[in-house]
Amino acid sequence: MNRHDLIVIGAGPSGLSAAIEAAHAGMDVVVFDENARPGGQLFKQIHKFFGSKEHHAKVRGFRIGDELLKEADAAGVRVELDSSVLGLYPDREVVVRHGDEVFHAKGDAVLVATGASENTLGFPGWTLPGVIGAGAAQTMMNLHGVRPGDRVLMLGSGNVGLVVGFQLLQAGCEVVGVVDAAPRVGGYGVHAAKLARCGVPFYLSHTIVSAEGSDHVTGVTIGEVDRSWQIVPGTERHFDVDTICVAVGLSPMSQLLDMAGCDMVDDPKRGGLVPVCDESGATSVAGIFASGDVSGIEEASSAMIEGRISGAAIADYLGYLEHEGETRRVGELEGSLDALRQGMFAPKNRGTVPERTEEGCPVSMNLLEHGFLSDDEVLAYPGVTHAKGVHAVIECSQNIPCNPCQDACRKGCISIGKNITSLPVVVGDAACVACGMCVASCPGQAIFLVDEDAGDGFATVTLPYEFLPVPSVGTRGRGLSRSGEEICDAVVESVRCVSAFDHTNLLTMRVPEDCAMRARFFRPAPADADEEAVS
Amino acid sequence: MSDEAVRMTTNGASRSFSPAPLDRSRGLGDFVPAPDEDVLVCRCEEVTKGDIRRAVHDGMYTMTEVRRYLRVGMGLCQGQSCTKLVRRIMAAELGVSPAALDAETSRAPMRPVEMRVLGNEEAAGGADAR
Repeated sequence: MNRHDLIVIGAGPSGLSAAIEAAHAGMDVVVFDENARPGGQLFKQIHKFFGSKEHHAKVRGFRIGDELLKEADAAGVRVELDSSVLGLYPDREVVVRHGDEVFHAKGDAVLVATGASENTLGFPGWTLPGVIGAGAAQTMMNLHGVRPGDRVLMLGSGNVGLVVGFQLLQAGCEVVGVVDAAPRVGGYGVHAAKLARCGVPFYLSHTIVSAEGSDHVTGVTIGEVDRSWQIVPGTERHFDVDTICVAVGLSPMSQLLDMAGCDMVDDPKRGGLVPVCDESGATSVAGIFASGDVSGIEEASSAMIEGRISGAAIADYLGYLEHEGETRRVGELEGSLDALRQGMFAPKNRGTVPERTEEGCPVSMNLLEHGFLSDDEVLAYPGVTHAKGVHAVIECSQNIPCNPCQDACRKGCISIGKNITSLPVVVGDAACVACGMCVASCPGQAIFLVDEDAGDGFATVTLPYEFLPVPSVGTRGRGLSRSGEEICDAVVESVRCVSAFDHTNLLTMRVPEDCAMRARFFRPAPADADEEAVS
Repeated sequence: MSDEAVRMTTNGASRSFSPAPLDRSRGLGDFVPAPDEDVLVCRCEEVTKGDIRRAVHDGMYTMTEVRRYLRVGMGLCQGQSCTKLVRRIMAAELGVSPAALDAETSRAPMRPVEMRVLGNEEAAGGADAR
């Protein structure tokens, strides 16, 4: 049996971060992961992350994964793949399966960073092929390049459902709707708005009545639910779909901690059965730590910081750090973690809906109930102003921890301030040069460049465009409203993409003047219609 | 597993690990069949919602009992998919909160593993590579 200073179980964002921190302190660290590739879910994340610079904001998830792996490698962290930990026994002994063999290893400390698994929902027909988890859809699309289906219904309006729903559109699927039994959209408003302006309807206070099909999904029926979650008769609606994507939350995979004798608690706010642990992830059993989703469902950015805190705490626990250094490091990290845990969606605010933002702006109910800001509501936010010439319009209406737009603007047009959950303010007297950096840096794709009077009764709207094929200049189509309704004719005036945009294209469309503050997406005309127009 | 009260967590505990046992002398009323009786809940062991509801009426009042009675949650995924659903169905049938039910026991092996592999312990010399 081999002995290590630290055994980390799970090579996801949290486990790797902890391993790096411990290795930097001079510890001998081994990471076991049951998968063939390290990085956990990070490599399935193709969207840009929220947060501030220290949280890798505006960097796509898989690139953060690449950076983490490089850092782990440089720190001398050994990652053992295809290695399933089967049990965690007294004195921090693990049994690991690798290939056709099992072996034992002992750690002076063990960090469990096994993450979470997806919840299921048992509606009639849920076992039919075609009913898949949102995570499975992401794996198919983003790791294997396989489109899960042609017509998809998304169940769940949390960030996972919204992010994966948008990725399904990017993969070329038709998303017939986002359904949630809750009366409000669960995830970030900006994620919902991306789907809504592409024409995806939201069905809140609805759930799946049944999935239909004999050997695979051919359709789905949804219905409205009453206050006791029962279907209201007569509200049923049918959709022809071949795929139903289920995104109804995650459960911590905490069984190893439970079997090791750690005190556990069933905490619905943290996703289920989680270990009782302190801020550093120390459980009730000496030497056993937990970090990331296994100790409470959050997201990858906080999981990475939690991992770093645990790694530093473990190094301190085993005497590898001078206490002063550890305290300072942990203090910095806790500050960084605290910044992510603020705002409307903070763990402490789960289940509550504020009436006003921190700035006193009314919180959009339309966004929460239908997935988009109404034309009137949008004017209430400090990022939305009228001005002459090209200017940024920031449709950011909820206090979420995110500030890349502020750094992106070299001209000082955008101000958020120290508190990263504050709504961005468009500074009136600063001169926008239409560089588009803010548009490309916004992880919520909520920034547009608008010229309300581009001459001849037209306006131009520049929007972030992450679909293929990228329309060429001169392409005719329709301008879509925030709710995805076709409201005007539109022509592509320019398409820009530089490396700093990281594959977010900036599409500028020319629309009638009165649509400047309403048209927020471009839909190319179908190819045959185009030909007709030419002939 | 100790029954002692769980320390308060930093994030706020909502249920101790071992809730008080349910009162078994309390009647549940007659079993009323529901239209979604045939919906599979535990797909690994092919246990339906109706099976679980009937098991409660047969006297299975805890997660542990229903697991042993029906093998629900004891298949390939070891309850990772269905445990929350089973807990919800049982709680509804018993008329209690899901938190009032006992937690399932976690046991090794955590992942399905063939007996020939579990018994195939790596020779001491082979550990050099690790």
